[in-house]
Amino acid sequence: MPDNYSLTIDGVQITAKPGQTVIQAAMDAGIYVPYLCYWPGMKPYGACRMCVVEVEGQRGTPASCTLPAADGMVVKSVTPQVDQLREGILELLLSEHPHGCLTCHRIELCGPQDICLRHVRVTDRCVVCPKNERCELKDTVRYVNMNLETPLAYNYRNLPVETKDPFYDRDYNLCIVCARCVRACDEIRGDEAIAMVDRSGTALVGTSRGSSLLESGCEFCGSCIDVCPVGALVESKYKWEKAVETITSTCTHCPVGCQVDLEVDARGRVIRSLGNWTAPANKGQLCFKGKFGMDFMNHRNRLKSPLIRKHGVLEETTWEEALDLLTDRLPDYAGGKYALLINPRATTENAYLAQKFARQVMDTNNVDVVSNTTPSLLKVLGKTLGTPASTGTIQELDQAQTVVIVNNNTTEDHNIVALPIKQGIKAGSLQLIIIDPREVELTRHAAIWLRPYPGTESALIASLLNVILEEGLHNEQFIRENSEGWESIQNVIGTFNPSYVGDITGVPADQIVAAARLIGQRDPAAFVYGLDNVPDQQQDDVVQGLVNLALATGNIGKPGSGLFPMFKGANHQGAWDVGCNPDFLPGHQAIDAVDNSHNKHGHVPNSEGLGTNQIFQAILDGEIAAIHIVGDDPSIDDFALHAISKAEIVVVHEMFPSKLTELADIVLPLPAFSEQAGTYTSLDRRIQAVRQVIPPKGEAQPLHWVLREIATRMNIDGFAFTDSAEILNEIASLVPTYGGITYQRVQSTTGGLQWPCPSVNHPGTSTLYSDGFSTDQKAKVVAPREHAIPAISQDFPLLFVPGRVLVKPNEDITIMEIQGHNQIVNEDILELNADDAHGLGVSDGELLELITPVNRKLYRAKLNGGLSGIVTSTTLFGELATKLDTSEEFDPMLRVPRLDVIPARVSKPAPDPQTT
Amino acid sequence: MSNVITDIRSRAKREWEQLEALPRIRVGTALCGNAAGATKVLNAIKNELSLQGIQANVHEVGCLGQCFAEPLVDIKMPGGPRVFYRNVTPESIPELIATCLINQKHISGSTLGSLGDAHVQEISRMEELDSWRHQVRIATRNAGTIDPGNISHYIAQDGYSALAKALTEMTPEQVLEQVAKSGLRGRGGAAFPTATKWGFLARTPGDEKYILVNCEEGDPGAFNDKGILESDPNTVIEGAILAAYATGATFGYVFIRHGHDGPIKRTENAISQARDFGLLGKSILGTEFSFDMEVSLVGESYVSGEETALMEAIEGKRAMPRFRPPFPAQSGLWGKPTNINNVKTLAYIPEIIRQGGEWFAGIGHGRSTGTAVLCLSGEVVRPGMYEVPFGLSLGAVIDEIGGGVPNGQKVKLLQTGGPLGGVLGPQSMEIILDFEQMAQAGAILGSGGIIIGGESVCAVDLVRNLVAFCQFESCGKCFPCRLGMTHLVDVLDRISSGEGMPADQQLMESMGKSMALGSLCGHGQLGFNPVSSALRYFAEEFQTHIQEHRCPAERCSDFMHKPNRTRPLAIGGWYAR
Repeated sequence: MPDNYSLTIDGVQITAKPGQTVIQAAMDAGIYVPYLCYWPGMKPYGACRMCVVEVEGQRGTPASCTLPAADGMVVKSVTPQVDQLREGILELLLSEHPHGCLTCHRIELCGPQDICLRHVRVTDRCVVCPKNERCELKDTVRYVNMNLETPLAYNYRNLPVETKDPFYDRDYNLCIVCARCVRACDEIRGDEAIAMVDRSGTALVGTSRGSSLLESGCEFCGSCIDVCPVGALVESKYKWEKAVETITSTCTHCPVGCQVDLEVDARGRVIRSLGNWTAPANKGQLCFKGKFGMDFMNHRNRLKSPLIRKHGVLEETTWEEALDLLTDRLPDYAGGKYALLINPRATTENAYLAQKFARQVMDTNNVDVVSNTTPSLLKVLGKTLGTPASTGTIQELDQAQTVVIVNNNTTEDHNIVALPIKQGIKAGSLQLIIIDPREVELTRHAAIWLRPYPGTESALIASLLNVILEEGLHNEQFIRENSEGWESIQNVIGTFNPSYVGDITGVPADQIVAAARLIGQRDPAAFVYGLDNVPDQQQDDVVQGLVNLALATGNIGKPGSGLFPMFKGANHQGAWDVGCNPDFLPGHQAIDAVDNSHNKHGHVPNSEGLGTNQIFQAILDGEIAAIHIVGDDPSIDDFALHAISKAEIVVVHEMFPSKLTELADIVLPLPAFSEQAGTYTSLDRRIQAVRQVIPPKGEAQPLHWVLREIATRMNIDGFAFTDSAEILNEIASLVPTYGGITYQRVQSTTGGLQWPCPSVNHPGTSTLYSDGFSTDQKAKVVAPREHAIPAISQDFPLLFVPGRVLVKPNEDITIMEIQGHNQIVNEDILELNADDAHGLGVSDGELLELITPVNRKLYRAKLNGGLSGIVTSTTLFGELATKLDTSEEFDPMLRVPRLDVIPARVSKPAPDPQTT
Repeated sequence: MSNVITDIRSRAKREWEQLEALPRIRVGTALCGNAAGATKVLNAIKNELSLQGIQANVHEVGCLGQCFAEPLVDIKMPGGPRVFYRNVTPESIPELIATCLINQKHISGSTLGSLGDAHVQEISRMEELDSWRHQVRIATRNAGTIDPGNISHYIAQDGYSALAKALTEMTPEQVLEQVAKSGLRGRGGAAFPTATKWGFLARTPGDEKYILVNCEEGDPGAFNDKGILESDPNTVIEGAILAAYATGATFGYVFIRHGHDGPIKRTENAISQARDFGLLGKSILGTEFSFDMEVSLVGESYVSGEETALMEAIEGKRAMPRFRPPFPAQSGLWGKPTNINNVKTLAYIPEIIRQGGEWFAGIGHGRSTGTAVLCLSGEVVRPGMYEVPFGLSLGAVIDEIGGGVPNGQKVKLLQTGGPLGGVLGPQSMEIILDFEQMAQAGAILGSGGIIIGGESVCAVDLVRNLVAFCQFESCGKCFPCRLGMTHLVDVLDRISSGEGMPADQQLMESMGKSMALGSLCGHGQLGFNPVSSALRYFAEEFQTHIQEHRCPAERCSDFMHKPNRTRPLAIGGWYAR
């Protein structure tokens, strides 16, 4: 078969790759063939018949979206017959689609703020359609240049507009039934939340389980909106606003690194975000956070000028005064009494300058990313493999045959990571294993769901290795050539046999064996892991256990294999890479290995630094007196706030007034990610541009500007950067893996560059260790350790394991409209082990109160055969979606409640005093 | 191996002969029989026999094809001919039993005819009847004769001997060759050469390949697929196994519309019996060839009879056609190579293999070899399922077999090939039954349904009904069909109700062109056929409706009930039909 076909379209000679359809080849060659149901990246559908063409030597008018390109084909996309056919079909289409926007005689005269004079029917006015001038149907009609006078009767469907579900509106009066949304939901997202309903002339799009999206399995990713060619599906917020500019940037909600096209209106607001279809990180997809959580920067409560606490009250001031005050006060805390925490939304450049400031101006290693609460995620990879970063590329996970997900709610926390996995499952090539006590969206897609007693995950993972070694499923050659330390494992691994581990974890031994076989027998296998709810002392072991598994099965260094740490912050990886960490300098260079007399990093303090997990305790212990926090983050919990309140001086950079700013002595307004330029590094090492989309609000200034100003006032060199690009140049000179990175390069590629990228001509690296490990730096395995099951307190003898799923196919969901919003009003169900229930005197269906250290709540009891000592409750994502949509928070997506396992007890509710 | 089939066959023949030793009573309990009350008749017979203490073998059989005579009771005394009693009622049973079984006489006035060598005086032979003599029964050879619920009956009629012959004496290529020689063309409507179609599948490599048997049969006026499956499921199963052998297929589905209970039950039963006999499953008849099949049901949707929509339906998806290429032979059910045949097509295969392709090619007319299983319905004296060789004229079929229009009326129009077929005028009675001639006349033979209309039928009204059916049954996927059909019903509605406009004919033609050229599958591509063919033969009648606002047949006069008014009406949230 030749590499390329040569064909002619409308007299132009073009080439097509074998397997391409004619429309794909035409698009690649820049030839426009009109289409309405086709969407690049999805399977052809062949419904709208707009893309019909004529082919020399073939009968009829085939649709070019379904016509395979062939060598020597002569295609004509514009012929009288094709034109007539397109016109005929559009005529039919317009007979049920309001099209006053095409026929109103004021189209050309009408300005944006004009009041419509109703020259057309009310149902037909262009103002009933929020996609006016963004409509593909309109463009197509204009391209075909048809006569709009039709003898066909016009039917308006007269359906109510569905506006009560969260985030987006559905107006099926405008729907042209191209099924793009249905196919996107099915093919790309694997959700099947929407479906075709009814047939013939009344065929339309509906939800999978009735009228509301809340129960249908919708994850509110908005993929359907992005593909809708007409105004049927639109975001509710800023529905009618018109964009004047679209700028691509990197999403700030998680470290996947999705490229978002942010639409900006004439008033400088970010009104919409769309997934960028050319970006390799997300291939056009977003999640509910990226799609509907991008307008926080527009909020009118943004902090606009610096504030200083005077007489106990925060008062507006000038930058001059605030900076002078900082210059005056901070030197008192130089050395170990100062700590700097930046949030993971800071760009790599800001993170770099932050650590430089801490080390060289404040002479301390007390600097960290505030989201670094589970350092094991990356640290262990650095220790054992050499590089503290994901070894593979997220979008290559669909090439995996087996994927193991450990303690990570992927669909909510790192949504796009779930996509290649779901697509692989749908294609039948991928088997998913989930290790997690919680029920999450992906558990219903899993081939095997191992549900261990919380806190026994490390033993379970060791047991998988036990089976793989016992059954000889390991990759002998890979082990020999690439790794060391197996002797230590030989002695102890026998302990972790499935029957023993089955007893500890509550997972049936045969399931452990089956999962181990899926990992050992299918190649490649990848390991996606978080450390949600893993006890601190076991975190290293969980990660190490997975490293051991990957090394034992040879699953490192090839696409579809490897280890994927699921840390939370958007630029967590970038901050680590540039040394915003108490333990190492830019380039992951360990502090203790640095010779301070001559190194390129400048002055390096020799005292041991404290990280996020230690800093707050250190404040309470009186070791740290000055705390400098850049940006709020969910990791700053009540304990942290309590500690911060005890510090002598609190400096906070923030966008919004918050509990944190209430404790601050100096508050500095922070620009949003969309108000400054820089780079983010994603969890698969992809360095991508964060572009300035809108001007900063008020006097907000980026961190690097503030630090430069302070350093200059202190007469300290090395901070005189005017923009991020200059800082990135310095990073490139210090961090070998960033050697070839320049802002210019990052900005000019849609996909960014994956480090290691040592030189300016280097294309970046998608898979680490693809050449294996060198003999002098072999990967290290470490023997698993046994851990005692975490102790249970007397007051709270049970563990409450929450879960959240997209759809509960076997349950009746009740949805009520409350204050204009659809809400799920079902009673919450608490599942508990039947024996436990008998011990407590609880019977099935009884009302129960669940009491945890933080709250109490009523549930309906349901007895099951689950593990003793555990109570579970799985809620629907739709419930959360309503809450997020109606939230009063400034940035609700930042604080999506996580599924934390917490100690609890149950009791029968006290009788209501009024009824007794 | 050959012993296996010899044993089975000799046992079956023995059983069959034993049945003949006693009086045999056969009652047709297929769809037509049941509709006419055959179940009550059957129960009455059983009651009467036990009441009188008479020993007799009573069987349910399928449809003899003489549906007009149902309930049909076939009584055969040992050594005597089969005598068919027509339109039997439960009340007449005591007399019938007394006369025939006790007194060993006949009620000659109630008979349809007799079949068999032994002749009875005052009863005419079936071979002399107009409704029988033109027939050459191949696909329906056992219909009405054997008990479809008992595989031994089929085997006793040399059933599965074609399979045994193929598996022992023939290579798959030779089977294919015989089918090619027979000139057999698909009977589902498209008349595509079966051997060519099988060849596509045979040449596609694959570990898993599928044979699908299509008994969706949604055409109003077509009941031959159901009739065959209900009367003789084993001939279809044997045909499917032979197809699988010739093409290397590994599994088969018989796809039946939900609600066709008779065919479903009898096919499921036949498949399980065949499995018990080692005729399906692993190592069929002890050879290395393995093949199994099952019945797959689908909801009532006309489009799911379209081959690719049918595959979507089996896969559990919404029955909407796929685009081609890829063709099913490359990527069909579950993405695997697939061949799909109509029930009737496969029903011929065992006899073609047994008697040779040349024998089959000798029957018929030109490139249309063999027979056509026709379903006559509508305004006709003798509705029924008749298997006639190609080459007969439509006139012979309607007037002689069907007995013409009741009450001495003349034939005004014929509607052939299902709703997507065409409407023919009275002048078409000369047309020779053959795929090409039918197509030339603007209609298709389709799946074999012919609906006859007398002088009182209005062409506009009929076409409106047909288009309303097609509109309702459109899956709603491709735009031209979804919207074109809707508007076509609109326009026809308005013509029929006397509000037609002069430009309407042109409007319909332009929409029809968009549909024919633009639609994704045959449903939309052929959806304009009823209108275009009716316009060809009854243009004047349309013009009378439009220009003079009257219906010459006085059918549309009260401007009438509007069946399946499928326009969206704004009631409540969703479309209400």
